[in-house]
Amino acid sequence: MNRAMRLKLFFLDNLIWVILVVFFLFNSLFTPSFMKPENLVNIFYHSTVLSMLVLGQGIILLTGNIDLSIESTLAFAPAIAMLISMKWLPGGLNPYVAILVTLGVGALIGLMNGFFVSRVGINSFIHTLSMEIILRGLTLFLVPFALFKLGPVYTFLGSARIGGEIPVAIVLMLVVFAVMSVVLRSMPFGRHILATGGNPTAAYVAGVPVKRMILLAFMMSGILAAIAGLLAAGRQDAVNNSMGKDMVLFTFAGAILGGCSLDGGKGSALGMLGGALLLGMISNALTLMGINVFILYATYGFLIFVAVLLDRLRVRLRERIFFKENLRRLEGFDTK
Amino acid sequence: MAETLLQLDRLTKLYPGTIALHDATLGLERGEVHGIIGKNGAGKTTLVKIISGIETPTSGTLTVRGIPHAGWTRTEARVHGISIVSQEPQLVPDFTVAENLFTPDYPRSRTGLIRWREMVRQAERVLSKAGIGVSPRARGSDLTLSEQQLVLVARAFFVDRSEIVLLDEVTASLSEKDEALLDGLIKGQKAAGRAIIYITHRMAEIMRLCDRVSVLRDGRVVATERVSKLDEARLSAYITGSAAVGPSVAAPEDVRADAAAPLLRVESLSLSGRFEDIRLELHEGESLGLAGLRGCGRTEIMKSLAGILRPDAGRVLLDGRDASVHDPEEALHRGIVYLPEDRDHEGLIETHGVRLNLSLSSLGAVLHGPFIDRRREAERTAGLISLLSIDTPSAEQEVRYLSGGNKQKVVVGRILSTRPRLYLLDEPTKGIDIAAKRGIVTMIRTVLRKDAGVILTSPGLDDLMEACDRILVLHRGRVIAAFSRDEFDESRIYIAMQGLGSKE
Repeated sequence: MNRAMRLKLFFLDNLIWVILVVFFLFNSLFTPSFMKPENLVNIFYHSTVLSMLVLGQGIILLTGNIDLSIESTLAFAPAIAMLISMKWLPGGLNPYVAILVTLGVGALIGLMNGFFVSRVGINSFIHTLSMEIILRGLTLFLVPFALFKLGPVYTFLGSARIGGEIPVAIVLMLVVFAVMSVVLRSMPFGRHILATGGNPTAAYVAGVPVKRMILLAFMMSGILAAIAGLLAAGRQDAVNNSMGKDMVLFTFAGAILGGCSLDGGKGSALGMLGGALLLGMISNALTLMGINVFILYATYGFLIFVAVLLDRLRVRLRERIFFKENLRRLEGFDTK
Repeated sequence: MAETLLQLDRLTKLYPGTIALHDATLGLERGEVHGIIGKNGAGKTTLVKIISGIETPTSGTLTVRGIPHAGWTRTEARVHGISIVSQEPQLVPDFTVAENLFTPDYPRSRTGLIRWREMVRQAERVLSKAGIGVSPRARGSDLTLSEQQLVLVARAFFVDRSEIVLLDEVTASLSEKDEALLDGLIKGQKAAGRAIIYITHRMAEIMRLCDRVSVLRDGRVVATERVSKLDEARLSAYITGSAAVGPSVAAPEDVRADAAAPLLRVESLSLSGRFEDIRLELHEGESLGLAGLRGCGRTEIMKSLAGILRPDAGRVLLDGRDASVHDPEEALHRGIVYLPEDRDHEGLIETHGVRLNLSLSSLGAVLHGPFIDRRREAERTAGLISLLSIDTPSAEQEVRYLSGGNKQKVVVGRILSTRPRLYLLDEPTKGIDIAAKRGIVTMIRTVLRKDAGVILTSPGLDDLMEACDRILVLHRGRVIAAFSRDEFDESRIYIAMQGLGSKE
């Protein structure tokens, strides 16, 4: 394989970042106030919540499954933690423990999802659909309106800014993605997750504990959804029962833009981050351009549609490169 | 002279790189059962595909009702009155037996609606005529494989009412009881003036059922004879192409001269319905072949040793310690690796690259702390690629773009890099070209056998005879004969595989 081909492959495999840069340049020229530092920080800040969900969804997609319940977990996990500390426990709860409880609830939901999908063998779409409705329903019942004044510790991650400028949430997002990137690329766990999604039967025969991998992936996505909930609640210093509603569809958009495949076994943490940032940038740019509110949502959807089309194109181009490479090699054989 | 229903003249089929069929000539008469037998790769499948219209011949003609054709499509084959029952029974699982029998020609009313009650009534009649004890309202998925196969046979005879019926190794999935039923059906239909082409691996069935037999070897029809003039030794000689020898006496489990403790000891391993009372010993540095026809239990024995199937009884000892494993992960820890027969679906993550596939089972060896040492991994990958001469443009090439032989080498490389004690290779030479086959056989005899034991199966005896020190012959889930390397004789092993000549 020659250098030109390798270069092309590199571009195609990182297409999301190419799109991101192009879209960024476009906005920097045509969108008013886009390039202001506050706005750039804003794009990142507003991407943090969705990015956690995209990462969770992406890991599940890697295993060849789907998790619809993450958007409800986002509301349910902080709701439980805050209910315990404000209402159920007379003495209140240490805020650090409350954070741990939030993550624990997310992990527990993930554990349940993983158990029913991998051990009981329920289709992940069906199972997490029921879970998503159950959790949203419980949240609506337990938190009829909203819970306010969560305390400085609990809201620190969601609202604090370093030096009054850089939100802690952004740092947290980058750290989480960096860690997951290492885990997926350079640890046996990541390889096993990829193999599980690529071909579960072959992975099982090769000695990969496929069921455990699915269980762990669901736990991770549960925890990531809980982190997203922590960030969302911290940002508005409140837990309300509609947090995260309708976000799950965008998690698919982000993960698939970032190179994941619904068939499983494909994708990287870096790509998922790109996907989440692109979605954040699209929504930011549309708002700045003053797009009519009524058409905003449709425009949002249309841009996602275009991006997914581009992704199809990427797959085609990639196959063409390999096809050409094989042709070249065949010709080489003929002349030998 | 009986009327000839189907005449095949000098059929030749070329595939890129191989001649699958060469100048095959064969006549089929009304009221006869015509057996076709031959080793794997002899051209049986190609012949079936041509007659049933899946493939068209490169040259030659097929004559039916006096009109020559250069080949036909599947629908045309049906119009000519030819039905095929293939070896993998395929009923639509969610359709009832009646629906399966009559799809797509349902009995209809004048307005074009399907007459369900009429269909069930007709299905009942067909099933009782065939003597099959299933309800027409049962679903395809409720039937055993054996019953499904019979339903399809009944369909060919009584619904399609074809004059020419091809039965392609249908006994492979039949139970013994259903086999007797099939025998009766075939005899009755023969008397009714149909012609039946009966393809099989088993000589006993030829002797029992067929009037004439054509033997295929290396793509040629080497003989067509009346079965009454043949005996098993002559038939086997035709099939293998070697001189006829008398039936062999089963050799006892051979006792090796060196009394070193065996690497692997299997004690009366059984899995009900698959294999029974398997005992074997394997020494370090030895390669052992399991020979047998489809359904003899060879794959199941391997899968049981690899932890994929759970045997009902028996003991497995590796290096003197208990090695009954529950899943492949545990097998891997004990040094047992399995190369699956179905390479693409069970052996490879096809959408991943060569490196990821090669490393998958042995990441532990390239760890640095909790992390994969990518440099060491890359070095090892390069080493494996050159050791096995895997032909790939780069270590990152997705496996699905590789040729069959190279894919197989990737699986071999994956299991090799775990440094196992026991290799279980299920048809490692399946579906790969001659050169790659050579490579794999050589690899078994040199690299793999070193410091480990190898158990393998193969679709062809020649590969086994080349790669193995010893061959055990399986028949209906039991070991019925053993041959050591100096006793290897294709014809004798072949007869043993038929379950004939065993004195046990």
